[in-house]
Amino acid sequence: MTDAPVSRLRNFCIIAHIDHGKSTLADRLLQETGTVAGRDMQEQFLDNMELERERGITIKLQAARMNYTAQDGETYVLNLIDTPGHVDFSYEVSRSLQACEGALLVVDASQGVEAQTLANVYLALENDLEIIPVLNKIDLPGADPEKIKEEIEAIIGLDTSNAISCSAKTGLGIDEILQAVVDRIPPPADTINELTKALIFDSYYDPYRGVIVYFRVISGRISTKDKVLLMASQKSYELDEIGVMAPNQYKVDELHAGEVGYLAASIKAVSDARVGDTITLLNSPAKEPLPGYTEAKPMVFCGLFPTDADQYPDLREALDKLQLSDAALKFEPETSSAMGFAFRCGFLGLLHMEIVQERLEREYDLDLIVTAPSVIYKVNMIDNSMIMIDNPATLPDPQRRESIEEPYVKLEIYAPNDYNGTLMSLCQERRGDFIDMKYITTERVTLIYELPLAEVVTDFFDQMKSRTKGYASMEYHLIGYRANDLVRLDVLINSEKADPLTTIVHKDKAYAVGKGLVEKLKELIPRQQFKIPLQASIGSRIIASESISAMRKDVLAKCYGGDISRKKKLLKKQAKGKKRMKAMGKVEVPQEAFMAVLKLNQTN
Amino acid sequence: MKYVSAVKPPRSAYLHIPFCHRRCFYCDFPVVPIGDFARGDRGTGSSSIKDYLSLLHKEISISPNGPPLATVYIGGGTPSLLTPEQVASLLKHLREHFGIQIGAEITLEMDPASFDDDQLERFLEVGINRVSLGCQSFRNEVLDALGRRHRRSDSLQACQWLRKAFSTGLLETWSIDLIQNLPGQDLDSWRKELSEAIETEAPHVSIYDLSIEPGTVFEWRRKRGELNLPEHDLAAEAMALTSEMLHEVGISRYELSSYAMPGHASRHNRVYWQGCGWWAFGLGSTSSPWGERFTRPRTRAGYRDWLVKQDQMCIEPSLLGLNPTRFPLDELLIIGLRCREGVNLEKLAQNWGWDTNQRKKNISALYFQLKNSFDKGWVERSGNRIKLTEPDGMMLSNQVLVEILLWWDSLPNDAVV
Repeated sequence: MTDAPVSRLRNFCIIAHIDHGKSTLADRLLQETGTVAGRDMQEQFLDNMELERERGITIKLQAARMNYTAQDGETYVLNLIDTPGHVDFSYEVSRSLQACEGALLVVDASQGVEAQTLANVYLALENDLEIIPVLNKIDLPGADPEKIKEEIEAIIGLDTSNAISCSAKTGLGIDEILQAVVDRIPPPADTINELTKALIFDSYYDPYRGVIVYFRVISGRISTKDKVLLMASQKSYELDEIGVMAPNQYKVDELHAGEVGYLAASIKAVSDARVGDTITLLNSPAKEPLPGYTEAKPMVFCGLFPTDADQYPDLREALDKLQLSDAALKFEPETSSAMGFAFRCGFLGLLHMEIVQERLEREYDLDLIVTAPSVIYKVNMIDNSMIMIDNPATLPDPQRRESIEEPYVKLEIYAPNDYNGTLMSLCQERRGDFIDMKYITTERVTLIYELPLAEVVTDFFDQMKSRTKGYASMEYHLIGYRANDLVRLDVLINSEKADPLTTIVHKDKAYAVGKGLVEKLKELIPRQQFKIPLQASIGSRIIASESISAMRKDVLAKCYGGDISRKKKLLKKQAKGKKRMKAMGKVEVPQEAFMAVLKLNQTN
Repeated sequence: MKYVSAVKPPRSAYLHIPFCHRRCFYCDFPVVPIGDFARGDRGTGSSSIKDYLSLLHKEISISPNGPPLATVYIGGGTPSLLTPEQVASLLKHLREHFGIQIGAEITLEMDPASFDDDQLERFLEVGINRVSLGCQSFRNEVLDALGRRHRRSDSLQACQWLRKAFSTGLLETWSIDLIQNLPGQDLDSWRKELSEAIETEAPHVSIYDLSIEPGTVFEWRRKRGELNLPEHDLAAEAMALTSEMLHEVGISRYELSSYAMPGHASRHNRVYWQGCGWWAFGLGSTSSPWGERFTRPRTRAGYRDWLVKQDQMCIEPSLLGLNPTRFPLDELLIIGLRCREGVNLEKLAQNWGWDTNQRKKNISALYFQLKNSFDKGWVERSGNRIKLTEPDGMMLSNQVLVEILLWWDSLPNDAVV
């Protein structure tokens, strides 16, 4: 491993919108510097979770150390720190930016700047990073680099006169990028002789070695012989090993200021070594930790029910295991009178929720019923106490409460101006307060709204995408709580209250939602052996009702030439479907029904 | 213990004749459309037919022997496209190879407008004694919508010839097919169809629910929202009406989709429902001579290749019957419950090979699984026999059969393997 002085170190990350080619560019850089041989190259090397590769997104951070011989003949060590590209993980992004001195801003040369890009660029600017604009996919016929450069200048105010045009796919411009990293990104400050501080920018759980921590040494040195102290968790560890990511882990004896590496110290759970925590030496600790550490707080909650009640202990075990590697995941047991035992889980956002759910089903082979996502409400009680509610079903009765407050976000949408009308009406429908509209170019606008988070965590994103043919992008952050006239809407299936379908809605929307909900349930719940009344209620008042008629005919009459294999296949499918339904009282309810509230705006 | 030492050799044979004038809009059977004017002996399509028949003869000749056949069923496709001589030659071959019992049931599927009374007479002369007539509907607009070639008048004419042959004793029995739950069908129009079916005096009626199969014109139309299929309640009422109207005139339901006057139930179909073995010959056909089912390739080229390989290398050894098996018990229940008389649980379980303890335990587990079905009145028990009730149990048979599959799944591995 090349040992480089601080002056020949460069730490940088890539900022890009989903699909703008970040991972492909990263692959290309690894290949060009000979870090990964062409034959070992799997597509998108840094996205090493199966799920990430499938979805084309980065969930967990990765890092890679590359050696690059620049035009001056010297060999430089370049550390690429990959960042997750989704709003749910913006805290992790901010930590990984803090570990860098520069960033490549990758923009699709035909698509232009998107909301997510912008949010991350601002984060990078706040962190004083040197930004190198890169126009990717220059080989595509629709590429218009000059126009996109103008856009970058107009929106971000970055000088694009020395922006680099490249095609990560064909390899065009890659060497120029590497040279620019050396020339334009400053080396880390030479703080080797100061007290040791290192920033944790990522960690993951390895079942054999415990938590593997990725860190950037900000000052001083860390060697294998050291005992380290984690300043936020106040836990100390003896190091088992330290090393660099090249990009596979490679053990070294010592890392000094400016370097990026990993450590293993038999740490039991990632919650003991959280992103943003500061590593220092136990014997000569730093006076104060690096700034900016916070604990990621879940914003979105849902209930997870095992389809088969026997799987409840397995679900607990799986969640325990996932939590070892996912410090942001929170869960606690809950019970529903209609459906039995479950867990109430908290997530950073919708994507995080989907990922956890999918990992539980895939990696732990569990069949789950997931309820519609909810947010945390503040309930001010008559007796002046205040309680936080993450499960709509536990909202106290109206007589006992004074007011309800719900979380609000500031939402920014970027879209071609053709879609202003439809986007504004979407925000309006979702109880948004219009704040501002800015033209960023003659064709593109940014809309700024403040709206309840509860309205965003439903199908807002999908609606925005479908109304704008996918051209809009969005970004939001929490701005606080506001009191609103909210009510609890209950659903009764076969005259029994169905807790998991309870929602909290604005009073003005309650009738429409209640009516939509029972109609949707009528569509989603198959006919059963008896008639099933469906009702929506506020308190004891029924505001909407429907019913599902009893099934009267269920027969496969055609059976040709004695070949029953096809018939048996169909029956088996039916039997399997029956197993996958969750009994709610006497009624068997399919998984989709629990998400009915998210589907109210879809026909069919 | 799955293997039972001996399975009785098959006494039935199915012959598949894939040729049709056209492919109907609902059809996903292995058929070969050869045009409206095709005939078996000359002109369009005749060389295809002759070529195929030689393959069919080949398959019969390489089959292992067996005892004389009690039932023969020539289905399709449109087997009435063959000439009586061609049918005669197939029967002759079967007679030489296996033998055909005296009094055997020999069925030919026929399509209205594909034969005349003279041809019918010659088919009967060469040994056909049961005809199954594919009417499907008595209304021209429905026939058009189905993509059928024949008209209402063709069906009525064909029925008249069959009635006459039946009354003079040339034809032992006959049947008509109807399709229920067609797009646009309401209760009144279905009642009319049933009345017409009754007026034909056919002693046997098969009624199939339309099912929309992948790859058919109907599937395509449904996707485009062009099929106005009867909704759930109407479909249920139509089925109840069928059962009621036919019962009134003495044609009672003896199987999920078959209705017959006493003594006119199809003996060949019963073979399938009782879990007995049968031979099959021809492309796309499914046979189960010794318990294991095998379906032949669906295309002519595929079938030809398979036949060559089967002849030279015996790539499908299950056809030889060296290792006879029985159908899994769950399947025997599923198919057995299609019939009016249901199944004798005790007897089936005995044949399956459980010891007394296992049998007791597993059967009582089944009764437990079916408790709701009994409570609802869909299943009845008398002694060791259970059966679906008519019409409620028949109408909701899947609800019962699914329980049987769930029961089977819940049994320990050594009980089902």
